[in-house]
Amino acid sequence: MRVFYNGYPHAGHATRVLWSGPLVRHLLLAAIVISSLSGCVVVRANQREFHAKRAMTNDRDAGEARFSQHAAGAREGADGGTGEPGGGCGCN
Amino acid sequence: MRVQLRRFDRIAIRSEARSAISLRRRITISIAAAAIALGVAAGPARADGTLALRGVYYKERATRVMQPMLDGMFEAGERGLVTAHFLVDAITSASASSGAVDTASFTEQRYEAGAGYTHQLSDWKVGGEAKYSSESDYKSFYAGARGELELAQKNTVLGLGGGLGHDTISGGPASGLARLMLQCERDKQETAECGLTTYSMFLSASQIVSRNAVVGVSADLATLRGYMSNPYRSAIVGSGTSIGTLRERHPTERNRTAVAASARYYIRQTHTTLIGAYRFYRDNWQIHAHTPELRAVQEVGSSIDATLGYRFYDQTRKAFFYEERYAMEQPYLSDDVKLSKFTSHTIEARLGILGEAFQLDGRWAGARFEAILQYIVQNNRFGNAVVAHAALTIPFSY
Repeated sequence: MRVFYNGYPHAGHATRVLWSGPLVRHLLLAAIVISSLSGCVVVRANQREFHAKRAMTNDRDAGEARFSQHAAGAREGADGGTGEPGGGCGCN
Repeated sequence: MRVQLRRFDRIAIRSEARSAISLRRRITISIAAAAIALGVAAGPARADGTLALRGVYYKERATRVMQPMLDGMFEAGERGLVTAHFLVDAITSASASSGAVDTASFTEQRYEAGAGYTHQLSDWKVGGEAKYSSESDYKSFYAGARGELELAQKNTVLGLGGGLGHDTISGGPASGLARLMLQCERDKQETAECGLTTYSMFLSASQIVSRNAVVGVSADLATLRGYMSNPYRSAIVGSGTSIGTLRERHPTERNRTAVAASARYYIRQTHTTLIGAYRFYRDNWQIHAHTPELRAVQEVGSSIDATLGYRFYDQTRKAFFYEERYAMEQPYLSDDVKLSKFTSHTIEARLGILGEAFQLDGRWAGARFEAILQYIVQNNRFGNAVVAHAALTIPFSY
């Protein structure tokens, strides 16, 4: 993992680190924990009236999300984290 | 430099003359398409859809962006959903990084179109999307696929997706000696075009934890290979009396990782939804960034909602090769301020109103008007920015 931060890594190593690094392992763990919660809590469809509200599902339209992602890509070093595939930014 | 000056003078003159006509024409076509789609709704109703018209205005010190866009969503059969969008990005900039020379502003347009399809298969949802973006010096194509698995009566949703993008970067439409040539890789000959390939993948999981709360996590991974410099930017190199500029030279490999967590909580007594999110980002250019975000959505009756939001962006580590000035020539050089260490704050206010609030009937009762105003404090040389959105989403049947 240290190599990841030390200068510019070799592509093969970087790719290996990227896909098997602690961050991804932690995320997979979080996903497993979250999915295991389903065994503890099951909210039935007729009890999910609040979850049907716009703000509880997705309060941002596709067009707004797309613009925000594009603008952030042009003004911030970080990109991603929206749970959507990116790419094709056109904003070097 | 003279080559660039000639090129951008031409672009500026040509685009000033054409942009108004062209943009107006594109917007007219978009509105006509919307009208046709709504006209189709007059037939016997078999399925539903929505059509959203949105205009965005972005203004900061040296750059102004106007982006009209059209988004459509249509049911296809009992289990299919088709989405499509078209947009025009009209950028007016006096920023050298956008290609302006001697602070003479120019206008350039980018066109983007995309479509996607999602199909429901029992507990699974699978889908794909593609989009193409074109401007005079940048073409981009992206295709991706995604799958979602719903578990425990849809209390748990697991998502997985990936995509492939390919961009082609050039020095613009000029030809002959006026053409700006690019060096795709170090120690290689200059060429007219360079490529950039992006492989991306995301994982996500969301879980309903009570009758009024839901949490989620996601990770985005992306590997980029190819030209990632800006052909118009130059870094300051040297010291004392021997100072000059050299064209920007970024590494040609980048691996990005972003993990995020979010939670939504509905307060029944006040009809308020609280949304919190946090993202951590890092890449092998050594950039680290933290992005916490908080929004509160307040329902006012059944047809109005108002939102206040705040987003903090803290880029705690700069790219390993980024310097404001370079004492001597380095393998990698950059004048890209977004690779530096900086913070930004975004304050947002929004208002959403359904047509029924104005006593409208039929499909117009369900139409939603939305206005958004954002103020962004950017602690770098981009300066502060203002963003405004106005949108109208119209439901229809066909």
